[in-house]
Amino acid sequence: MRQMNFALALLTAAALAACGGTGSSGGDQTHKVAFTQQVTFGDSLSDVGSYNVGAVTAAGGGKFTINGDSTSTNPALTGLNWTEVLAAELRLPKPCAAQTGLQGADNANPALDFNVAIVNNANCFNYAQGGARVTNPIGPGNRAVKPELGEMTVPVVTQVANHLAKTGGKFTGTELVTIMAGGNDVLMQLGALSAGATAAGTRAGAAAFPALLIGGLVATVPAANQATAQTNITTAVQTTAAGGGSQTQIATAAVTAAAQLGAPLAAAQAAAAKAGADAQAAGTAAGNQYAATEGPKLVAELGKAGAELAAIVNTQILAKGAKYIVVNNLPDVASTPSGKAQSAATQQLIMAMVDAFNNQLKANLSTDPAIAYVDLFTVSRDQVANPAIYGLTNTTQKACTTESSLTCTIKTTSAPDVSHYMFADDIHPTPYEYWLVTRYVLKDMAVKGWL
Amino acid sequence: MKVRFNSVVKTLVAASALVCAASASAQSAGQWTAKFGFNQLTPKVESGDISAPALPFTKADVERDIQPVVIIAYGLTDNISLEGALGTPYKHVIKGAGSIAGTGELGTVEALPPTLFAQYRFFSPTATFRPFVGIGATYAYFMKETGSGKLTALTNPGGAPTTFNIDNKFTYTAQVGVAMNINERWFTDVTVNKSRLRTDVHFSTGQNQHMKLDPVAVVVAVGYKF
Repeated sequence: MRQMNFALALLTAAALAACGGTGSSGGDQTHKVAFTQQVTFGDSLSDVGSYNVGAVTAAGGGKFTINGDSTSTNPALTGLNWTEVLAAELRLPKPCAAQTGLQGADNANPALDFNVAIVNNANCFNYAQGGARVTNPIGPGNRAVKPELGEMTVPVVTQVANHLAKTGGKFTGTELVTIMAGGNDVLMQLGALSAGATAAGTRAGAAAFPALLIGGLVATVPAANQATAQTNITTAVQTTAAGGGSQTQIATAAVTAAAQLGAPLAAAQAAAAKAGADAQAAGTAAGNQYAATEGPKLVAELGKAGAELAAIVNTQILAKGAKYIVVNNLPDVASTPSGKAQSAATQQLIMAMVDAFNNQLKANLSTDPAIAYVDLFTVSRDQVANPAIYGLTNTTQKACTTESSLTCTIKTTSAPDVSHYMFADDIHPTPYEYWLVTRYVLKDMAVKGWL
Repeated sequence: MKVRFNSVVKTLVAASALVCAASASAQSAGQWTAKFGFNQLTPKVESGDISAPALPFTKADVERDIQPVVIIAYGLTDNISLEGALGTPYKHVIKGAGSIAGTGELGTVEALPPTLFAQYRFFSPTATFRPFVGIGATYAYFMKETGSGKLTALTNPGGAPTTFNIDNKFTYTAQVGVAMNINERWFTDVTVNKSRLRTDVHFSTGQNQHMKLDPVAVVVAVGYKF
C-alpha cells in the first residue's frame, strides 16, 4: 500500500511537470497579417496633429479630443484618437501628421499665433486634417471661412494624391489604409443652409413689417383721423427706414405719429408689438420655406460626396495596389451635441444627408475583399441609445468647455469626471469613444481574417 | 503474450459476428473492470453577453474535443457499480459569436471533468446486452485559459494582452449507456453523459460572461474484466 502511494505521488508529479503550469495567459499576440505601415486619409476624426503648432500647441491641444495623456487621472484619458490606438494594437509606429501648419492670424506671441509655416513631413503617413472634406478644398476652419484660425483642410482627394506622389504612384500592398470623411461636407452644407435660411427669413420679415405696422397702427387712431393717419404713419415709417433706422426705431416713429393723431399710447404700442411678432413669424415661415426647398439639394450634394469618396477608394487606393483598406462610414451626426442643438426639421435633414452619403459610399464602393466597410453609423447611433453596455456615462453633453476640442485638455473639462463621456465637443469623440471605435474597427478586421 | 493476443483477435471476430450467445459473464459483485476508449466532449453552449464595456450581444462559442480515456469501474453488487475516469484534458477552442460572429478563434481552454458515477446495470451479469444508467458528481476544472492577439484587439486594443479565467464548478452528470459482453472477459460499450454546467468567465479587462455549457460526452470503449 505504501509503495502504491509512492508510485501515485511520482505519477502526479510527473503529470504536473508535463503540464507546464495550468494558469491563464494572453497567448500568441501576433496578428495574421503583419502590416508594415498605417496610411490614413480623412478629417478631424483621424487627425493626429496637423494643427499642433503655434497657439494650439501652446494651449496643450493638437487633436480633436481631450488632449494629453491624463491616464494618471483616469486610464481612459489617453489623449489618443482611433488611428493611434489602432497603430498601437498593430505594433506600428505612432502615427504622425504628414503636414503641419496654420494659415490664420499672425502674432509674435506664440500663445496667440495661428500663422505657422506649412511643413510636409516625408516620413509621416497620416494625411487626415481637421476640416477636410471629400473633394472640396474649403472646409470648416479653412481661412476662407475662418480667417483667424486658417486650417489647411486639404481634401481627401488631394491627401491621396499627395501620398501617391510620395510613393511613386502606388501602394505597397502591405500597409493598412484607413479612410474616413464626410462629416465636414455635412457641416459646411448645413452652415450654408442655415445662413441662407436666416437671410431669407430676415429679408421676408423686413419686407412684411412696414405694411403690418402701418395697418395695425391706423386701426388704433380714432375713425375721423384714419385717412390722415395712413399718410402720416406711412411717411414716418418710410422716412425712418430711409434713414437706416432699425425695426425698433421705425416702430417708435410710427407709434409717435399715431399718438399725435389721438391713438391711445398703450393701444398703439400693442399694435406695433403685434406687427413685429407677425413679421417675425412671416420671416420664420420664409426661412423654413427656404430650408425645405434647399434641403433636398443638400441631401443630393452629400450623396455626391459619398460617391466621390467611393471613387477615390476604388481608383486611387484599391487600383493602386492597396490590399488592406478600412473605410469607415459617417457616424450619426444628428445624434451629436451639434445635431441635437438643431430643430427637429434640421435633425431630420442631417439624418437624410448622412444616409445619402453612406448609401452612395456603400453602393459605389468596390466589393473587393481588400476593403473592410465599417458601419460606424449604426454603432454610433446605438451608443447614444444604449450607452451603459458600451461603458459610456454621458452621450449628450460635451466634455470640453473650449469651443473646439482642438485646444481641449483635462484643464478645460466641463465636469470633474468626463473620462467616459462620448463627446469632447459638439462633434468630436473623447479618447474613450475613439477607443470604442477602434475596437469596432478591429472587430471587422478580425472578421476579414486580417488579425 | 501470444496467447493473450490471440484471445483479442478472437474477441474481435466474435464482436464482428455479433454472436448473441449468453455464455459470457459480466460485471458482478466485487469485480473490477477497466475500459479504454474515446470521449467526445461537446459543450451545448448558451452564451451570455459579455459585460460592459462591450458591443451589445457579444457572445462566445466553444468547440468540441475528442480525447482518449481510461475508465475504471468496481461492482458493489451484480447490478450496482462505481465508475471513474482517467484521461487527458479536453482542449476547447473558443470562438466569437453573437455580434462578434465571424471573428474566429479568440482563445483556448483545457478542461478536466473528473466524475465519480454510481451506476445501475440492468439484467444479469451474464446477459449479452446490459443497459445501464448512472448519476455522478463532477468537478469541472478549467485550466490553461489562453487568449490571443485577436482577443486583445477586441477587448483591450493597444494595451496589455487580455487573459481570462473560468470558474471551476462542482456539478452533476447523468449517464445512460449499454454494454455488450463479447465473452467472459471482454466487453464493449457506448455511454452518453450529460452534465449540468454553468460557469462564469472573468476577463482581465474587468468584463465577465456567464456561460451555460451543459456538455454532452459520448464515450465508445472496449473493456476488460479482472
